[in-house]
Amino acid sequence: MKLRVVFANLYVKLLSVYREKTTMFFTLAFPIILILVFGTIFMSQDNVNFHLSVQDLDQTKSSKDAITALEVNGKFKITRVDPAANATQHIRDTKTNLVLVIPKGMEKSLLRRKFFNDYQSSITVTYIYDPSSSSVPTKIDILNGVLAGVNQEMSGIPPFIKAVKKSILSKQYRFIEYFVPGIIAMAVMTLSLFGTVNSNTELRQKGIIRKLSTTPITHTEWVLSDILYQFTIALVSTSLMLLVSYAVFQVNLHINAWLLAFILLNVFAFVGIGMILSRFTKEAQSAAAAANAISFPMMFLSGSFFPIELMPGFLQTIAKMLPLYYVNEGLRAAMVFEDNMDSLRNAAIIGVFAAVVFILGVTATKWEDGQ
Amino acid sequence: MPAQANWRFMTTETEYAIKVENLTKRYGNLLAVDDISFTVRKGEVFALLGPNGAGKTTTVEIVETIRTPTSGKVTLLGMDVMKKKHDIVHRIGVLPQGFSSFDRITVKETLQYYARLYSSRNTDIDGLIELVNLEDKAKEQYKNLSGGLQQRLGIAIALVNDPEVVFLDEPTTGLDPRARREVWEVLQGLKKKGKTVFLTTHYMEEAELLADIVAIISKGKIIAMDSPGKLIENNVKHLVLTLQSVDEKAMEVIRKMGFEPVLDDRQEIKTRVVHTDDVQKILSAITDAGVLYHGLDVRKPNLEEVFLKLTGEALHGGLVGERGTK
Repeated sequence: MKLRVVFANLYVKLLSVYREKTTMFFTLAFPIILILVFGTIFMSQDNVNFHLSVQDLDQTKSSKDAITALEVNGKFKITRVDPAANATQHIRDTKTNLVLVIPKGMEKSLLRRKFFNDYQSSITVTYIYDPSSSSVPTKIDILNGVLAGVNQEMSGIPPFIKAVKKSILSKQYRFIEYFVPGIIAMAVMTLSLFGTVNSNTELRQKGIIRKLSTTPITHTEWVLSDILYQFTIALVSTSLMLLVSYAVFQVNLHINAWLLAFILLNVFAFVGIGMILSRFTKEAQSAAAAANAISFPMMFLSGSFFPIELMPGFLQTIAKMLPLYYVNEGLRAAMVFEDNMDSLRNAAIIGVFAAVVFILGVTATKWEDGQ
Repeated sequence: MPAQANWRFMTTETEYAIKVENLTKRYGNLLAVDDISFTVRKGEVFALLGPNGAGKTTTVEIVETIRTPTSGKVTLLGMDVMKKKHDIVHRIGVLPQGFSSFDRITVKETLQYYARLYSSRNTDIDGLIELVNLEDKAKEQYKNLSGGLQQRLGIAIALVNDPEVVFLDEPTTGLDPRARREVWEVLQGLKKKGKTVFLTTHYMEEAELLADIVAIISKGKIIAMDSPGKLIENNVKHLVLTLQSVDEKAMEVIRKMGFEPVLDDRQEIKTRVVHTDDVQKILSAITDAGVLYHGLDVRKPNLEEVFLKLTGEALHGGLVGERGTK
């Protein structure tokens, strides 16, 4: 094997992709857009502001204080509804989905309870809501929590069960820290799989493979340059993803040798699958369709976007058979938890898988007889 | 050119660049190449001439080491192509059929790339660019080159390792006449350099102009092989009279005289005649019949005629539908 030949090939591949700027831009931008969009959505969930309409039929100091308290709580952005208005009609007209109605006589009942210890004195607030809206249950849950707190406090008895949160990690990790390694795993998979399938079918259709088979370049040199090329692109893509994650979300992720190891194993595994696919698909279009059929389920089932615990049991079993699952787990073990043993365990699994498909891929793609 | 049949037997083994013995290639039930044998001498331009699907590309790709034969033996520069691929590729240059290259890589970069594959540090890239007249396009990316320029780059690539044998598989297919002539000029330059050239083509002009030896292949079999001059001399003894812009009436008149006129797709009547006197007779007869013609041409037969005679099929266009000669 001649390294000069490997690097000549790598140079031509990199030069081609560098000159194809639009393709390159979208290829690299896609995972970054995912990080920005999902990161923004999930990051703001901690201090999310729900819109809540409140109709105060009591119009007293107490009722106004209660509304202000809801606002100060930080969870709600309150819109006040005219007491004379029809709350149901208000929902239809203004496209809101929940109106909290404070009944008339609230202050009076409150005073009776507070000063005359009249425990029969109570009020009923009404939630008027649009059941088609998905955020309503969350809002009602929060409101119920607030009401329970008020009731507890008014009872004057300290609660029996108290709860505190304690993370297994020394630092407080956020969703984004789990999400970014998943996106790195997914992006490297997509780049390697589609990169291999597209370049192999295109070069074969254009007859370049046939031409190369009449030159001294060996199959091993060709495959090695392909791996190096995909690894380079994966490194560029990963660096950009990490840069954006640090700059925009100030993520707290560890960059270590495991990261490089998992990227390399991921590249090997999916270049291998790509080679097998391009062996069995003659046209560029069917090759891309086959790559999609493999990468899409993998993307959603292997825990790149959300934890697999959210999925039904049988899907979790399937997830654990997918190579990307182990890349995800491994990258999180390395970058979030700094757990070397877990990283090693996942690396071993994906390593064996990568070795098998890569060898199959290399033997599947022969240059003789027009392949 | 001496009669090939004789001196081929006198040629010693070391003078052969290519020796093909009983080569057969089968794809499932299709017999693409049917037990063919031929030799190509060093320094010779050898053309494999035949219509599409005759087995030209399969044959040349077996010799180039791209495909494996079903049976038979191919020796290239004294080496068995099945066993010595690694050594052979260093000594041959190939322009494959439908050649294509990396879209966004320039002419010069492409040549540098291929030179690196051969690990040759002394390749005269600029000299190659000059040889194929691409000096003005050296910094142009492949995708911006016209078909003719792309083929010329392909020929330059086939020469980066200064090969002893150059294979050109249909080098001018799909090119317009001007681009084709430009490629021919480059190929004539190669001939002058004394390279052994193995050419496949379905253009008889190309074979006639460039080749020292032409092998006519049809349905997987070589049916004749000699120099273009000898092939014509030995196989066709007539002239072809072409009358332009004439109507069906002229066909009738000529047919009644005992000839077999054919109307081709350009509305020209072509008639084979053995003696020049016949030309005069036909012209008088159609003038007497009141038919006007706007142009005429009398030609010696060419390889197309040879092919037609030997196979009963047209190579492409030309005398479609005719069967044999008188």
